[in-house]
Amino acid sequence: MNAVRAAAAGLALLLAAACTAPTPPRSHASAPGGTVCAPPQKPPEAETPTTIDVIEQAYFCILGTYYSGSTLDARSLLLAGFVALTRELNRNGHDLPEATMPALAGDRKADWAAFETAYRKITDQVPDLRDTLAVVTLEALVAALGDDHASWAHGGGERPPGYYDGDGYGLGLQASVYGPQLDGNPGVALPPLFVTTVQGGAARAAGLRPGDVIEAVNGSAPFIDGEPTPAIPALYPRYPEARPVRLRLLRRTTGRRWSVTLKPGLYQRNLAELQVVQSKLLDDGVAYVRMRGFAPDSADRVLKAIARLREGRTLSGVVLDLRGNGGGSPTEAVRLVSAFVHGKATAYTCAVDGTCQALRTDDTVELVGLPLMALTDRGCASACEHFSSAAKDLGFGRLIGTRTAGVISGPAQSYLLRNNTMLSLPARHHLGPDREVIDRIGVAPDHYVPTTPKDAAAGRDPVLAKALTLLHQ
Amino acid sequence: MRHLLAVAAGLAVLAASACSAPVPPRSDTVPSAKPTGPATLPAPTGDHPVGTTALYLTDTSRPDPWNLDADARELKVTLWYPTEQRDGERAPYMTPEESELVLKGSKIAAIPFDALSRTRTNAFKDAKPAGRRLPLVVLSPGFTKPVSTLTSLAEDLASRGYVVAGIDHTYESYATTLADGRVAECLACDSDTDPGFGPLVVQGRAADVSYVLDRLPSRWDGSRVLDLSRIAMVGQSIGGAGAIAAMVKDPRVRAGIDMDGTTYARIPKSGFSRPFMFMGSPQHTVGGRDPSWDRDWKLLTGWKRWLVLSGAEHQSFTDGPLLTGAYGVEPAYGVMAAARSSELTRTYVAAFLDRHLKSQPRPLLDKPSSRYPEVTFCPATCDRS
Repeated sequence: MNAVRAAAAGLALLLAAACTAPTPPRSHASAPGGTVCAPPQKPPEAETPTTIDVIEQAYFCILGTYYSGSTLDARSLLLAGFVALTRELNRNGHDLPEATMPALAGDRKADWAAFETAYRKITDQVPDLRDTLAVVTLEALVAALGDDHASWAHGGGERPPGYYDGDGYGLGLQASVYGPQLDGNPGVALPPLFVTTVQGGAARAAGLRPGDVIEAVNGSAPFIDGEPTPAIPALYPRYPEARPVRLRLLRRTTGRRWSVTLKPGLYQRNLAELQVVQSKLLDDGVAYVRMRGFAPDSADRVLKAIARLREGRTLSGVVLDLRGNGGGSPTEAVRLVSAFVHGKATAYTCAVDGTCQALRTDDTVELVGLPLMALTDRGCASACEHFSSAAKDLGFGRLIGTRTAGVISGPAQSYLLRNNTMLSLPARHHLGPDREVIDRIGVAPDHYVPTTPKDAAAGRDPVLAKALTLLHQ
Repeated sequence: MRHLLAVAAGLAVLAASACSAPVPPRSDTVPSAKPTGPATLPAPTGDHPVGTTALYLTDTSRPDPWNLDADARELKVTLWYPTEQRDGERAPYMTPEESELVLKGSKIAAIPFDALSRTRTNAFKDAKPAGRRLPLVVLSPGFTKPVSTLTSLAEDLASRGYVVAGIDHTYESYATTLADGRVAECLACDSDTDPGFGPLVVQGRAADVSYVLDRLPSRWDGSRVLDLSRIAMVGQSIGGAGAIAAMVKDPRVRAGIDMDGTTYARIPKSGFSRPFMFMGSPQHTVGGRDPSWDRDWKLLTGWKRWLVLSGAEHQSFTDGPLLTGAYGVEPAYGVMAAARSSELTRTYVAAFLDRHLKSQPRPLLDKPSSRYPEVTFCPATCDRS
């Protein structure tokens, strides 16, 4: 009676399908790099320190499995790693005469050997810094790809003491700049920075409210000449970061200007709001479904919710709220598209040589057959943009709100490194149904409706209001 | 395994950003050459014959948490109790429909789909309860499981002089036959990867338990045998997590046991002094993959035990191994035989209840026993494995 375990395994299988969808790129599987690193077969064991051997494994893993691994100039990776290494040495007051970049000839193996020799010579002299240097070097190698779906997961993952499932950690607020605008596609954020949701914790205790404009974070302006600054990410400390964050706030409704110091910590969140799919009938016969992610089964959950709201009445349309939907499984995106249109390609995934595979609708999914309004914002990323671009290009729904995140390079596969850390790399890149690049650009809404601090303060949702107006036209 | 599920949920969340890779399915236990037939549950070890009956309650004070179209919460309660009746019709383990839904839902293909409806139990259907001032034990099953998967434990406790009220938490199981014959399936399964799912489930289970305790005296015609000042709760997996949730919310539950369940309810920081016992597989050792018992252990200020059974797995505390074992399915490598896990579960649960509801000395709970060398007392003598 392994029901729950089987259920977990089933979920895992779905995930597997999602992550390798649609068909594993055979060419990559048989590439020499394919043997250097493999997807994890079970939850990883405890992490061990990052060493030069781990960096080597990651280097050849990238060259063997990453989208452009077969064609990229591997020297660019090693160079980025060395830049980070010397910068970290300097930062720690340990610069060394030997810390000089070795000559690289363009041969991937020989260049690695030269890099490793230089790396060892340097790190042997600063044993206390060895772990840190390895981490910054490997981080830089991955960052050099400039790919929002390429990442190295290490450290962290540890829960704060006293953590319960569903708890949040941080200041207890969400602001108008959040999620993918912080790291996935920085630079797209727009002023002003203001509180959109007070979730709990320090922010609630300090009496913050939606609409409060954040004029400074730890004394620094969030925008300088319209450009977002590193002050913004300081709003979202992650455990074990626990330094208090000082905010200068302006409440425009009253003109009050004041400062608060918020200490990051665990806070309880509203469990109902954490559900991936939430739905309600709006009084004018519209099914409103909020979808927070493309988790396993989520497409069917959305469709079930619509079917339920439809029972015994005629609906005039569906509002699908995708704001803050961070994505998930491409399989779920395809399935949800398939409920609105048949016989189409929802997206293409393309290898570096330009050969593409179409992801096609599953025409066994019953069509909903109702007008669709999808609400989007800069937090709609990855699979969410897959769906949004399909809605727009294939004409089965209209997008209302703001442009999507532009964080959809391609579906990533995880690889287990020898120290039990995880490298995630896309083997193919994603294009929309019209073969257009969506990554870094995002999907533009059909109707641009921003939310202002005034709306947030008044509890108004102009994006939803616009969607309802359009449905009733 | 709740915490594995949690891991899977964690993966799902990861997948949202990085599309992380999965845990592959564990290869299931393989049937041996000679399948036999439906299981006969082991005989209860206590002095009394056992009766059983079902009770259907409807809580109109709250909407169902899973079925958005139900404005009341329907619950099925199965009671097991001592009786003087010595023969009669044995209660069915499940209906054929329930059996099929449970086995299909659990993806168990090694035994026939009607196997659980042909499993032989020891309790006489609708027999008259006997005894007086009997303590009450609320039983709560794991996620997706009907409470009948804890029948072997329930019958044994009843034979030892307890009344057992097993709750089928509707829509949290693959199959619950309701009062009007409708079979409720697992609606909660749709959202079991959502963040905060565990806390939501145990919050609902606590409400289910309180409602059952409210109504049992008036709705069960055998309730005159009960001593409602002596109530404990025992659960497996999220049912065990539900025991903590119920105790935190409802002071009528005086003691509790969590069998291998990752916990989700917030124990007040001020402490929690009613007796509690964790009883788990080696996955639930100190400093193991699931940190929830370590977290809660510090907040338990009363009588407490943390037992780890070497060779146990998540289902060792249920009828699962007995049911599949009868068809020749061998335990996975390193997992103890079904008869042994059943014996250990019955023995230690009964010892705990005897001690805390009947005030009988039970030295078995004070130190390791040579009769049961599988049982380790944590955190004193168990270490990170």
